[in-house]
Amino acid sequence: MIKAYKFWLRGSLTMLLVFSVPVAAWAAPELPADIEWLTNDTDPVYASPEAKKGGTFRDSLLSFPATFRSVGPDSNNSFARVMQSNQLGLIGIHPNTENIIPELATHWAFGKDKKTMYFKLNEKARWSDGKPVTALDFAYTIEFMRSEFIVAPFYNDYYTREIDRIIVYDDYTLAVVGTKAKPDLHLHLNIGPKPRHFFGKLDKGFVRKFNWKIEPNTGPYRISDFKKGKSIKLERKKDWWAKDLRYFKNRFNVDRVIFKVVRDFNLMWEHFKKAQQDVFRITFPDYWHVKSKTAVIENGYVHRIWFFNDTQQPASGMWLNLDREIFKDKNVRYAFAHAMNVQKVIEKVLRNDYFRLEQHYVGYGRYSNNSIKARRFDLTKVDDYMKKSGWKRGSDGIWAKNGMRFSVEVTYGFEGHTPRLVVLKEEAKKAGIELRLQKLDSAASFKKFLEKKHDVAWMGWSTGMRPAFWQHYHSANAHKPQTNNISNTDDAELDKMIDAFRNSLDEAERIDLSLKIQAKIHETGAFVPTFMVPYLRQAYWRWWRLPKIPGTKNSDDLFDPFDPSIGGMFWYDKNLHEETLAAKKKKKKLPPVTIIEETYKMKFLENSKFSTVNS
Amino acid sequence: MKINPLTIKKFRRFKSIKRGYYSFIIFLMMILASLFAEMLVNSRALMVRYDGNYYFPTYGNIIPGTTFDLDYDYETNYRQLAGEFEKESSGNYVLMPPVPFNAYENDLKDDQFPPFPPSIKERHYLGTDAVGRDIVARLVYGFRIAIFFSLALLLANYTIGVSIGSAMGYWGGRFDLFFQRIIEIWSNVPFLYVIIIISSIMVPNFFMLILIMAFFGWIGITWTMRTVTYKEREREYVLAAKALGASNMRIIFKHIIPNTIAIIVTFAPFAVSGGVVALTSLDYLGFGLPPPTPSWGELLQQGWTHLDAWWISGSVIAAMIITLITVTFIGEAVREAFDPKKHTVYE
Repeated sequence: MIKAYKFWLRGSLTMLLVFSVPVAAWAAPELPADIEWLTNDTDPVYASPEAKKGGTFRDSLLSFPATFRSVGPDSNNSFARVMQSNQLGLIGIHPNTENIIPELATHWAFGKDKKTMYFKLNEKARWSDGKPVTALDFAYTIEFMRSEFIVAPFYNDYYTREIDRIIVYDDYTLAVVGTKAKPDLHLHLNIGPKPRHFFGKLDKGFVRKFNWKIEPNTGPYRISDFKKGKSIKLERKKDWWAKDLRYFKNRFNVDRVIFKVVRDFNLMWEHFKKAQQDVFRITFPDYWHVKSKTAVIENGYVHRIWFFNDTQQPASGMWLNLDREIFKDKNVRYAFAHAMNVQKVIEKVLRNDYFRLEQHYVGYGRYSNNSIKARRFDLTKVDDYMKKSGWKRGSDGIWAKNGMRFSVEVTYGFEGHTPRLVVLKEEAKKAGIELRLQKLDSAASFKKFLEKKHDVAWMGWSTGMRPAFWQHYHSANAHKPQTNNISNTDDAELDKMIDAFRNSLDEAERIDLSLKIQAKIHETGAFVPTFMVPYLRQAYWRWWRLPKIPGTKNSDDLFDPFDPSIGGMFWYDKNLHEETLAAKKKKKKLPPVTIIEETYKMKFLENSKFSTVNS
Repeated sequence: MKINPLTIKKFRRFKSIKRGYYSFIIFLMMILASLFAEMLVNSRALMVRYDGNYYFPTYGNIIPGTTFDLDYDYETNYRQLAGEFEKESSGNYVLMPPVPFNAYENDLKDDQFPPFPPSIKERHYLGTDAVGRDIVARLVYGFRIAIFFSLALLLANYTIGVSIGSAMGYWGGRFDLFFQRIIEIWSNVPFLYVIIIISSIMVPNFFMLILIMAFFGWIGITWTMRTVTYKEREREYVLAAKALGASNMRIIFKHIIPNTIAIIVTFAPFAVSGGVVALTSLDYLGFGLPPPTPSWGELLQQGWTHLDAWWISGSVIAAMIITLITVTFIGEAVREAFDPKKHTVYE
């Protein structure tokens, strides 16, 4: 049976009932003959062959999710990652090589039009209720995601703007057609299926009806039990269809994962020390250095690991608003950057634990321009730049010119950052710049930035697979509210390069442009990069075991039980568990262990001033 | 100025309650000291003698390092200068205040991380907070802000509350009923939430915060004033004033309020301590005055996240206890001194 589904988009979200009735056009789509099917069974596996199945892994949540729905109101909660991780996509990305690897599809092919990808599904793929996953489930994804009944404008928009249609050739063969030719097509067209047999025809009642329904999934675990407001239990599927696939083998080892709600971060730490939680993230300097000087760690019952990864770094720092009179002068922007004593904050407040972020796009592999260095604290340079623009120090030591003082407001949204900012403020005073700190609620501060009402925004942007220049630096997004160009960068030359980058389908050219754009952005001086944390640190009870290389280049959590790309690499060791409990009972000390794992440490960090901590 | 003998009697009585009286003196001294905090707790020197010239940097503009032939033109680091002069022993000297730190500077060390424990040698008598700021300095400047905040709030609350309260009591009837309902509705507005909402979208400064808090704070005293005025307006002297043709305004402000002053004064000290606590708790929650304003609430918050650094929570809790206890003792003594039962004798 061959069917083709095509859906048309009408822009407005307010139009009702446009997408609720799929338009089925009977045609006979033929698979193009000239496509080349690809697969990947040669990339290195990264799970450990020693891994054993078993055990219960306990973790905690700060709050109970407001819904189990994957879309719609309140669905973007902190538990969503768990739900999403247990829904596989067509393909995955190998966390070390970043090549495509199979997930629900065994084979894939790129169309000649550069906007279509073809997929052959794994015929063994099953929903958690035992029904096979077929191409029709992907066609249904489009219908589902475009429906206005799911009350998810973001998805409505994404699945119309990015994805044109799904072509179903047979039960296990399909094509995903994008709306336009694009580089890195596989990053845009990798969609997941939705169980048509479970949702059926959507209607107005969707949001309420599916609030606490557990949607069938394709991943290794499913929710088996939950107590609202208290706990959620996930059970490993004993005969999971994908358990012997090359990149899934020896992963997802624990039998049960239990999340308990603990509403306070300090309290979670206490729970962890009582072994009511198995792992605790201790990346923060005070947890790593001070709070981990505690009995269970010093007696060796809990191990610590410091794992360097090599992944895209969030762009955190200070964004100058170029629409402000004072920042229109490039010399003043440079002087501002040289007046920020970021190094002192790193050394004196952050215990030398953080690294200086050199520019906006660090960790994007070949797309990153690693020759750029952030402007360092330098009072002579501040003097030079300020004097060049005709400023003089006033009687209070602050630069002044034509009645204007170099006093700017720094807005931020996270209380924990105050210690960093007060040090910057005191140091900037030496350079003749006054920082007025304004701490807002995080949502309020973000709103202020998006409305471009700040002088200096203290914030970080999250990352993607590839550098996103257009949203942050293109003039199309400058001088208007609700866009991500919060520095209001508006440079014709930069625009030209960004446009070329966006329109190019040639990887080499894109990489070349990417490096040039970053150099240009650095020259603009609208962004003062501050810190990056290219690692993670965790404490875990010693009966949990990790592979020899405990994570991957892109791991952001070594004890994520679910993530299809980096998760489920650890396992439970019953003997060690009993041994530890016995030692604890007898108050016997075991050797304390701190692992520092630098396999994936970024190359250019090695020379930086940094001392590792002894174990 | 002629003082009412009754008032003199009240003062005498107050003085005779030793606990309250000494608390009052301590409290006054604390306020006075905090007014001149720049002379006691400051990173600027009290006096510098350099090459025969005298400098008094405490108040006024900054003196750049170049003035003392140092190689920087930001503000002179007087502690460092003092050390250098000592080494040179050329007759130049720097006179530093007893606590040579201001409330904002981070005194950081090379090989250690704050918070640093108390140290007499380093002149951090109560140690430093989590970013290396001196706790004595934060406490003293924080006290000054908190106490003046509280006094200003008191003034604002009582001006509004007393006027409205006595107007309600004086006119009674519909006016009273109307305002009673308004107040009932008003007092049901969850005031803490309103402050949190307001301060999360804009950072309130000192006066804004007083304005916001007075917006809800005036209610408390109205009920008392209303009742007292109801009683007073039936008195003969009010009737007499009316007969003489005094205006309502005059009767309320010149006759009734002076006669109810005992009640107002009795409540005031407790309102002051209430104000301090309110500001501290708002700062603790992060919705008070913007950082890096020195504040007790912020110190308390730091104390909670750094429980092992006992000197942070220890000193701020001690400071709060001392302040609140003195204010409470004063309040107690005032109440007793103004107690009508003590000096009204019917024969």
